[in-house]
Amino acid sequence: MSPWVLAGLVGAALVGLGLYGLILHPHPLRKLLAFNLIGSGVFLVFGIVARRGAAAGFSFDPIPQAMVITGIVVAFAASALAVALILRLHAESGRVTLDPEAWTKPDDGAAKS
Amino acid sequence: MMAPDPTTPGGSLLVLAILLPCAGIILSFVLGGRNAERVALGLTPFGFALACAIAFHVASAGKPVVYALGGLAPPLGIALRADGVSAVMLVAAAVILTAASFYARAKFATPEGAPESRIALTFWIMLQAIWAALTIIFVGGDLFNLYVALELLTFAAVPLVCIDGRPETLAAALRYLLFALFGSISYLLGVALFYGAYGTLDIPLLAQKVQSTPIVWMAAALMTGGLLAKTALFPLHLWLPPAHANAPAAASAVLSGLVVKGSFFLTLRLWFYVLPALPAAGAANILGALGSAAIIVGSVLALRQARLKLLIAYSTVAQIGYLFLVFPLAMGAHVWSDIGWSAGVMQILAHAFAKAAMFLSAGLLAEALGHDQIARLGGAARALPMTFLTLGLGGLSLMGLPPSGGFSAKWLMLQASVASGQWVWTLPVLAGGLLAAGYVYRILTPALSEGDIVLKAPPKRSREAIALGLALIALALGFAPQGFFDLLEIGRPLAAGTLR
Amino acid sequence: MSHLSSALLVATLAAPLALLAACFVKSWRPCALALQWLAPAPGLAAGVLGVTAAPGSFDLPGLGFTLRLDPPGALLLAVAALLWIVVTAAVWRERAPDERFGLCWLLTMTGSLGVFIAGDLVSFYLVYALVSIPAYGLFAFSDDAEKKRAGAIYMAFAIFGEALLLLGFAALAAGEPHGSSRIADVMAALPASPWRDVILALIVAGFGMKMGLIPFNGWMPLNYAAAPIPAAAVLSGAGVKAGVIGLIRFLPLGVPLQGWGEALAALGFLTAFYGVLLGLTQQNPKTILAYSSISQMGVIAAALGMALGAGDVSASGDVAFYAANHLLVKAALFLTIGALAARGAPLSGAPLGGWTLALAAALALSLAGLPFTGGALAKLASKAQFASGWAASLATLSSIGTALLMTHFVARLDAPPPDAARECPLALVRFWPAVALGAILLPWLFYPAFGDVSEALGLAKFWEGLWPVLIGVGLALGLRRLGLRRLGWPAPRVPAGDSIVLFEGAFARLLALGPGFETLDARLRQWPAAGVSLLLIVLALLAAGVLG
Repeated sequence: MSPWVLAGLVGAALVGLGLYGLILHPHPLRKLLAFNLIGSGVFLVFGIVARRGAAAGFSFDPIPQAMVITGIVVAFAASALAVALILRLHAESGRVTLDPEAWTKPDDGAAKS
Repeated sequence: MMAPDPTTPGGSLLVLAILLPCAGIILSFVLGGRNAERVALGLTPFGFALACAIAFHVASAGKPVVYALGGLAPPLGIALRADGVSAVMLVAAAVILTAASFYARAKFATPEGAPESRIALTFWIMLQAIWAALTIIFVGGDLFNLYVALELLTFAAVPLVCIDGRPETLAAALRYLLFALFGSISYLLGVALFYGAYGTLDIPLLAQKVQSTPIVWMAAALMTGGLLAKTALFPLHLWLPPAHANAPAAASAVLSGLVVKGSFFLTLRLWFYVLPALPAAGAANILGALGSAAIIVGSVLALRQARLKLLIAYSTVAQIGYLFLVFPLAMGAHVWSDIGWSAGVMQILAHAFAKAAMFLSAGLLAEALGHDQIARLGGAARALPMTFLTLGLGGLSLMGLPPSGGFSAKWLMLQASVASGQWVWTLPVLAGGLLAAGYVYRILTPALSEGDIVLKAPPKRSREAIALGLALIALALGFAPQGFFDLLEIGRPLAAGTLR
Repeated sequence: MSHLSSALLVATLAAPLALLAACFVKSWRPCALALQWLAPAPGLAAGVLGVTAAPGSFDLPGLGFTLRLDPPGALLLAVAALLWIVVTAAVWRERAPDERFGLCWLLTMTGSLGVFIAGDLVSFYLVYALVSIPAYGLFAFSDDAEKKRAGAIYMAFAIFGEALLLLGFAALAAGEPHGSSRIADVMAALPASPWRDVILALIVAGFGMKMGLIPFNGWMPLNYAAAPIPAAAVLSGAGVKAGVIGLIRFLPLGVPLQGWGEALAALGFLTAFYGVLLGLTQQNPKTILAYSSISQMGVIAAALGMALGAGDVSASGDVAFYAANHLLVKAALFLTIGALAARGAPLSGAPLGGWTLALAAALALSLAGLPFTGGALAKLASKAQFASGWAASLATLSSIGTALLMTHFVARLDAPPPDAARECPLALVRFWPAVALGAILLPWLFYPAFGDVSEALGLAKFWEGLWPVLIGVGLALGLRRLGLRRLGWPAPRVPAGDSIVLFEGAFARLLALGPGFETLDARLRQWPAAGVSLLLIVLALLAAGVLG
């Protein structure tokens, strides 16, 4: 088994695990972690993509590497924002849930504007 | 082998258009507090002027304005490219963002003497970040670059949803963020597959190379799925109603009018610019069917809401559905696909202006009455004539009655459906119009009937005028001359590699 | 087209629009609304000039709109403008109604004049929407449940009709090979259009809703019963004619279409008799007039159907004349309800004077074609369409029916609805005889443009016009006298709006689907459902691409 195939399989497994968690775990923090799992899987796919360069005579193609680094930064920023929101939500309400029913309290739209 | 620098005259305007809001963000950070507002408001005229200048260049040259970053042509470098649709979207975004900024002063201004607040700083910075992200989305020519811009757009939009820090808005923002991340990772995987297959992400280069292979379809499906999640196309709309209905009015206007259009714009880019050569009728029909379902379900749900802002938010779900009818109606190189394309872009614009105007009015109404319960609007039109005029005119466009951009969009959509023999798409268009009439009727009838109403505070005339101005633009779109539709065609590929 | 007539055409729309613009300034609003009776003046002038002029059209530069005037449109424009001037001036002379009402009035007026001169699809659709939708404000802003119901039903039919027409118009535009949206061009392309039958069905259904053809007749009685008398007068007179001009403009009369013609004629006659029969079951004079309108619109649809079957272009003028006569008479009849109520009131229920009743009866029987009234001319005008055997018999039968129904109406004038006297402006009460005489005689002024007046004065014609009226009146009086009350006359009592009850039931069932949608939405908005939906969409797109 070549390293590329192994990387591909691991990437696919990570995406699969992440999808399961993202869709089925109700807690936002778990969803966030699952998102990061999928992210890692996708970055592995980018790694395989970098092998294209090898066919052209380079040892690797640098562009996917650059994209992975950018992607990691974006994913990190996203995670930070999500964690901040989760913490704030916990601080404000004492519970953390995405269930829409939990937040349908009588609300007449006054404070919004 | 080095391709010649493809930069065209006026290309540097594209860079300026991106840099301007970015510079505004940095300045706001550095100067802080009350200056953030001044920076944001002060830059709006320049942003608007730049958008107009780009549009002028595109229209007068009759071909896209291009700028190659660093003088390197793709595939090595990255190009910015503004064609007819980008130019129009840039101008529309500039107008709506400017309007929303001036409208928001009443809530997010920091007058002399008042303590500076973090909320205000966040608001002004995020507004400029949205402007920057949208500009990159409209002119970006590289799929990975567009991914970053898409993420920026989400990161800027999420804080606007929960800016007042109430638990329900925080929950809405979190839902929005997590589902958007789901979408963005799907998009990113599609990008990786495209790069793996063809070694480039530049849109025109990809368009020349793509072939109908499973890997391309996989990439397209993943990217489209991701973009649909961010556009909140039914049944992926779980985050939209609470997020748009609970945000402050100025933010709702931008979110509903522009932000969802950003990801939709990329969907258009993908199918009409990257994949025009592929036989995509099946995919187009799926998108059209989802759009139709969105129209029906969104409109029916809008009919059943008790709160005005939720009604308007569900109306957005429905109107997003209309956008997706452009896929079956404009795909391919037929006589009618031009009509379908014009219809789609007209729908983007008409909805952007009408919906922004309606959200701004709903905000004024909620401030003036202290609530936005539709059942308690009896006689409100007499107390707030201008606000209800705006709601009525915006509703006119949503219903598709002339003269309005919404009418033009539906008129062209129906013509394209008939001319292409796809009569089935006329049903959602007409049913959506009827249901829209129903929910506009629900707002206006109680308001226009008898009843006494006590205003907590009369709204400021200038803010009413801003909302009315946006609604009037939505109406004026109904008078768009042929030259406007010609502009929309500039740079649209008809089939593999052929540019107009 | 001469400069004068193009200028007048532009002014026909520009004058009410200018007043509308003035309404945006709060301090000008009362003044603009009070002056709106002047707004139809250019339309009146354009119409009077246009009746005898050659047809012409005029493109508005910049906006892409086309205005056009031909004798049928001009005649309807002239009489509609006259009606709007008279009623508006009378209403605002007394006391200015509230501004909502005033604005809706102005908008409806603009649309009502505009439909007769719009020359392209988009502007026709625009003015047609104007004459339909703001009319809601003329009667439905009220706490009264019945008025609200009438308003909601009216709106539902108006919007639904608009939707059908939008599709029909879009198909018309799509069938025009050169991208023109002028009515003349799209109609020239229609007979060869692949979607001809669909378009015709949409056109007939869309305008049929406005005209109250069965099964879309239910809104009309509710609307006119709810509307105050001046509003009912302009809506039944001028408003409904938007549907007539629509059929005149959008039926391809130049090409014989046997099947379509017969179908439309059958629908028209069916409506004509249905209106009479249902009208006889009603007690409220306003409702009776509404059913008479339904019946008369049925006659018009039948005439157009016969013309369509025969490929008879000249029918547009004949039908327009018939419609113009109905416009004047029906509006005058609504005013009659109020005027007679106001005139009778001071005498505390004393019977109305003989000549008053005679004038009212002459006016009412004009619809049945009483000799020397405008109705006799209208009947003459429609002669060509109802020439053949069965159509001629049915037309005569419908005259008899109309006379019967109108006699029933005159008999019910002594029991006007409670507000009738108050609703009718004082000026119209005072000058009611002039209004009634005008409605009877004005058609004579215009008839020379369409036919030979002397033809109407012959003894044979006199007798031909008289006997159906006599039979109808005799039948009505006989039915009253003969004590058919014992047999249940004039029952059975059918609720006003008859079939509307069925529509309301269907609508209620439709509404009952709402909670189902809510449940669906709530389910789909659960996170796992949305996540799975996303995956399914990706898979579906993949499958569509790879397999398709």
